[in-house]
Amino acid sequence: MNSRQSFRALNRATQQGRATKMSHHLPIAGSKDEPLYAIGARFDKPEALVRAVEHLRSEGITAYECFTPYPVHGLAESMRLPKSILSFLVLGGGASAILIALLMEIIPSTLIYPLVVDGKPLNLLALPQYIPIVVALTLMIGAITAVFGMILLGGMPRLNNPMFAWDLFAKEASRGFFLAVEARDKKFSNFGLTELLHELGAGDITAIHQEALEPPQGN
Amino acid sequence: MSTASTMNPAASPSPDLGVLERPPQVLNNRGPLWVTDAVCSIVEGKTPLWWYAAITFTGTFAAIGGACILYMIVTGVGVWGSNNPCFWAWDITNFIFWVSMAHAGSLISALLFLTRQKWSLSISRAAEAMTVFAIICAGVYPAIHIGRVWMVWWLFPIPNSYGMWPNFSSPLLWDVFAVTSYLTVSSLFWFAGMIPDLAVLRDRATTKVRKFAYGIVSLGWLGTARQWRHYEMMYVLLAGLTSVLVVTVTTIVASDCATSVVPGWHATIFPFYFMVGAVYSGSAAILTLLLPLRLIYPQLRDLITPSQLDKVCKLLLMMGSCVAYVYVIELFNAWYSANPFERGAFWERFTGSSAWYAITCLSINLTIPQLFWFKAVRRCLPLVFILAILCNVGMWFERFMIVTSTLTHGFLPSSWKDFHPTIVDILTATGTLGIFFTLFLLFIRFVPIMSMNELKAVLPGTQQGNSAGEGH
Repeated sequence: MNSRQSFRALNRATQQGRATKMSHHLPIAGSKDEPLYAIGARFDKPEALVRAVEHLRSEGITAYECFTPYPVHGLAESMRLPKSILSFLVLGGGASAILIALLMEIIPSTLIYPLVVDGKPLNLLALPQYIPIVVALTLMIGAITAVFGMILLGGMPRLNNPMFAWDLFAKEASRGFFLAVEARDKKFSNFGLTELLHELGAGDITAIHQEALEPPQGN
Repeated sequence: MSTASTMNPAASPSPDLGVLERPPQVLNNRGPLWVTDAVCSIVEGKTPLWWYAAITFTGTFAAIGGACILYMIVTGVGVWGSNNPCFWAWDITNFIFWVSMAHAGSLISALLFLTRQKWSLSISRAAEAMTVFAIICAGVYPAIHIGRVWMVWWLFPIPNSYGMWPNFSSPLLWDVFAVTSYLTVSSLFWFAGMIPDLAVLRDRATTKVRKFAYGIVSLGWLGTARQWRHYEMMYVLLAGLTSVLVVTVTTIVASDCATSVVPGWHATIFPFYFMVGAVYSGSAAILTLLLPLRLIYPQLRDLITPSQLDKVCKLLLMMGSCVAYVYVIELFNAWYSANPFERGAFWERFTGSSAWYAITCLSINLTIPQLFWFKAVRRCLPLVFILAILCNVGMWFERFMIVTSTLTHGFLPSSWKDFHPTIVDILTATGTLGIFFTLFLLFIRFVPIMSMNELKAVLPGTQQGNSAGEGH
């Protein structure tokens, strides 16, 4: 999420009296004086989370995120997440590695330092002898692309996250199925979000405020 | 079929009566919370006394090995028993032994993942760790066996101080790339698979140091649906790449021998020979590591089930039989080639000065794996442990036989000379064993030894519509 955009959205929501009003009757996580980040909820079962996502989508809410301890099948589909582009990145990484490896072998072997053994050729006729290194490098660059691509596409590495202001989430993320509807959403709190989440079987509904950057004075 | 006896009576009745149900992934109907607690408790509990004792023991061997390497570097390779004609001896034997052991770890985690063999989920992390540590041990040798280690950069694809480039058509240079990429890819595969589980440890951490350390290494993983989407794609891609890499690396290592014209090495069966030998020794190694672990941590008995160990034993049996087939074919080809040098090499191997270790190798590798035909043997875990260790001893002798018996008996009987390891050779080898087990002990203590997220995702009731436990 772009922090500046979200801040503007928060400001707008606060000015319209939506965000602050919303959090009055909910338990509050984070610092009360800081802008509201999201409404968090916990579900007991993955099915309940998937159902909640379907409902939110039908209400037109788009700025939300689901947190699960393992990949829940069908969740990405109900969130209408596109297929990961990682496979294309790996294809690109692997293809460029083939080119780099071939050039790295053929240029020194034919132009810079030809090492002729038994009069055997070193040009493209000798392609088979260049293949093992090409394969090894292609696989290595492909794997590096896959791992670093996954890390960057997943918004990592990241040292902190507004969600960690919510103690329950920070402790139980490995156990429960969590949902956070972000305050920057255009339709945020236009309808009874809390009531809707209650109806969908959510527990521990909490208003997650951002944490104060400086610790409060006098403590 | 042996799996029938471990059928879960609570599982849903199969619509087709002719199909056997899968044995449960986790015994005793354990839930996802129990799995998390069971795996994390190994890392979070107080460090047990045996662990300190064990790491002191293995660390001592590793330190002695390190001292031997240092002694070799400051003195020269003359401290080893390598001679002319046996220039490659102990070092290459151990290199091949370790790099082969690494292969089974990759195959168990990557190939069995791709073929949707869910039984391997609970052992795949330990298998991957074994791979990474075995490659580290293997990597010690290529770096030091060149003698003048400060010239190791001559192996890189850059011109050296004389303006010479490495020979790209040499299998020895292919080795450099193969081992480098294998270490990189298997480390990445291991680490990337651990990220969600390290985040679990971060969330459960009670001290600030642990929270900070696991917070850094888990890279801020939250388990959002988007992260899982990319993560699952990455895992499939990495599994595919690793599976291909395993075959490539073994083939390249086998080419070190096969592309030479030395009798006894110059055979097209070598890549297959090394491949099956690798999976055979690796399956034995994973059994050697898992069985004591299961004994020490009783909670793992529900996660590493007898049914899964049974399947590893069957893998060992299959690969052991392939190894036996290669032995026979190799001897047959030597005879059938009608080449006096080829015939002579094998005759010398089994009748000459190398007979004692060649016969040790054959007698172990031809008989021990065949015992796993019997279910009673596969189910008797102490026996499996002993047999698995024996298999690895047999495989070490096989590597030793391939490398030294061939080099010591070349074309000219006048240049034959036997190889005798020195104390430095032996202590360096035990040093790599020390390094391997030290790293494995650190692994047990500091990271989750099982892929909790993968296990939880296949437990009954954790996915929509699989509450009856039919998997997905």
